[in-house]
Amino acid sequence: MNNLPLKELLYKMADDQLILGHRNSEWTGFGPLLEEDIAFSSMAQDKVGHSLALYTLLNQLGESDPDTVAFTRNANQFHNSILTELPNQEYDFSLIRHFLYDTAEALRFEMLTQSSYEPLAQVAKKVRGELRYHTLHAKTWINQLGSATEESISRLQKSLDYAMPFALGIFEESPYEKQIVDNGIFEGEQALKTKWLTRVEEILSNTSLHLPDFKIIHPVTGGRIGKHSEHLQPLLDEMSEVFRIDPGAEW
Amino acid sequence: MNSLDPRVSRLPQVGQEGKIFPKAPLDQFGTYEVFVQSKEGKPFQHEGIVHAPNLELAYVLAKETFTRRFTCVSLYVVDTRDVFVSPLTDGNRNVYDLLDDVNDDEGKNKFEIYHLAKRGKQHMYAGTVVAASVGGALSKAKAQFGKEKIVYNVWAIETSNIRFTQHEERELWLTLPEKKFRDAAEYKGGGKLKNFLESSSKS
Amino acid sequence: MYGGGNTFEGIKTDSITLEDPIKLAEFEARIERGEKIEPTDWMPQLYRKQLIRMIEQHGHSEIIGALPEGTWITRAPGFKRKMALMAKVQDEVGHAQLLYSAAETLGKSREQMIDDLITGKSKYSNIFNYPTFTWADCCFISWLVDAGAIVNQLANAKGSYGPYCRALDRICAEESFHLKYGHHCVIYLASGTKKQRDMFQEALNRWWPPMMHFFGPSDKISTHTEVLMKWKVKMGTNDDMRNQFLDMYVPKIWELGFTIPDPKLKKNIETNLPAGQAGRWEYTEPDWEEFKRVINGDGPCNKERLEVRRVAEERGKWVREALKTPKTKYVMPLA
Repeated sequence: MNNLPLKELLYKMADDQLILGHRNSEWTGFGPLLEEDIAFSSMAQDKVGHSLALYTLLNQLGESDPDTVAFTRNANQFHNSILTELPNQEYDFSLIRHFLYDTAEALRFEMLTQSSYEPLAQVAKKVRGELRYHTLHAKTWINQLGSATEESISRLQKSLDYAMPFALGIFEESPYEKQIVDNGIFEGEQALKTKWLTRVEEILSNTSLHLPDFKIIHPVTGGRIGKHSEHLQPLLDEMSEVFRIDPGAEW
Repeated sequence: MNSLDPRVSRLPQVGQEGKIFPKAPLDQFGTYEVFVQSKEGKPFQHEGIVHAPNLELAYVLAKETFTRRFTCVSLYVVDTRDVFVSPLTDGNRNVYDLLDDVNDDEGKNKFEIYHLAKRGKQHMYAGTVVAASVGGALSKAKAQFGKEKIVYNVWAIETSNIRFTQHEERELWLTLPEKKFRDAAEYKGGGKLKNFLESSSKS
Repeated sequence: MYGGGNTFEGIKTDSITLEDPIKLAEFEARIERGEKIEPTDWMPQLYRKQLIRMIEQHGHSEIIGALPEGTWITRAPGFKRKMALMAKVQDEVGHAQLLYSAAETLGKSREQMIDDLITGKSKYSNIFNYPTFTWADCCFISWLVDAGAIVNQLANAKGSYGPYCRALDRICAEESFHLKYGHHCVIYLASGTKKQRDMFQEALNRWWPPMMHFFGPSDKISTHTEVLMKWKVKMGTNDDMRNQFLDMYVPKIWELGFTIPDPKLKKNIETNLPAGQAGRWEYTEPDWEEFKRVINGDGPCNKERLEVRRVAEERGKWVREALKTPKTKYVMPLA
């Protein structure tokens, strides 16, 4: 069987996890509260760990080893959604991104526990407990800050309005979408998006935050086909700075 | 800031360098005591505190502050102010001998009882009693578990004040043992060192 | 009483002679027989004050110590190093949390401690005022600075104050990963390419002088020091700690083929020496004027380290403000 649809799915998932995990790790030592600094760092490690698990699956399918794949590709070869590569800005943006992305991620992995590709289903089952924490954490913070003070509500609302078009880019369909669905590898981006919207609405309904009007916002797409914002290449240059000193070296 | 750390260089300009607005003393979040069960069958043990604005966030934060390493099967938190603390003894004086017996037969409230068996160690779960008041709870605790060994300090926590781990939340810690990248055992450089020493002694 | 007590007012005196002699004797007897002091015990003002200072400084050293290695989190080479470094720096923040909590049991609030750090009133370990120019500098810290910290921590874990001991037990358990990871990184640099070896040798040349400052100048023998050692607050002299570190790690550095930039550095193996001098390491006396200069603010990174903490507090203010309610009331932790 042609593995391209499967590989494409794995690459975009792994790239999402790596880039967002990398962004979130930038908060280590700079968080708003010591305990929250610790929690956010744990989740960043989980994400990088998930990306490693997915690159490992790709390696088993004939792609290069994870270090090579992660540390030597350029921006136009990455398939992460643009949402994940955006700079951190303030904590309200990072929390909103964490909420929007992790809600989708948990649903995606939940759906993938039924994947016809057994190794992927195994990974999906394994990470469930970790993602339960990520979504518990996000939901708790959004619930609380989203109903606390004028400042916290307005900050989160601004970030939500800004992030939403990028978040919709998570569901940019693959050129192999039909094969992925038909082969039972994954139920597809549309199905995921529908579940995601329901869940996001449900959680936000307990806050003073409101969703933007989907009729007038446009998803920011392109990430899945290597068309990225100006932020990704500098991120990759930084990430691979030491690795590139001596690519053959062992560190 | 122009820094060697690219993250620091990206930090926004905020406020004024060196100028901080001192907070009023005690102007911060309260504390929550954290209790952890490291393995199935082991008693819960006190591990420390988190600062948090409320019970639910205390639970969320305690999970990573105290159970991100080693093993854990369950965790719970309670407001520091909801922990009743007995006097503290030393030497060979059992603190239960200092507490009055209270007649408490009608009580319906559950209390978790913790013992300090040795100064310098953590408080450990001794058992749960049912009583109407804290005094009654301590009496029950004395009768049920206070007579075997010396206890230096007792905590009594009304169960209804605790944020426990729900049954379905137990999966939160399932992958802990697999995260080997934080285990000392993953970093045995011995083999590489040995090869290096052998090859450099040859040259 | 219910947990939380009252935080203590500013300490008015630290003179031992003004303390109740009977209580003082009971207190000292407890320490003498190896029993730990817990937060609700009576304790002399000097004991409380000294411990707050010591534990608070230790906490500050951890949170500031997260910065020189944190510099390399986004640039760590390869998955293994990337994830390990993220976990290690996270642990440093975690250790700060544990230590501040221990100090809080003595009556100083965490926010006050953080304020005192940012204003420069409270100090932290001087070694973190130096810059990590390269990945190898980061590895030096992960291995040898952590090794130095562990020498101190293992000694202090046998001290008399319960909450500090409990915090240190937890910290020491987590540090074993740090030490092995650090050594692992340096072994790979040593056994790698010429570029990698040279990178570490240069880092070592740069970091050796601050490392020799790490344990502080020789202790002046004073009644102050004697009392603190009797009370098991100070567990060993600075020279003892430094000697232990050199004994454990200089051979390991030399084993990897690196040179240490001190021609006088050697272990005294003569046998007919006065007691206490056999097996001592000899070295060029570190420049204590430089140490004083840097610890008082004139080092390469002092301003930046504090500025980063100040900015972190500023940026986090809206989060903390949003969630404070009249119901949240600060109390002292229990243990």
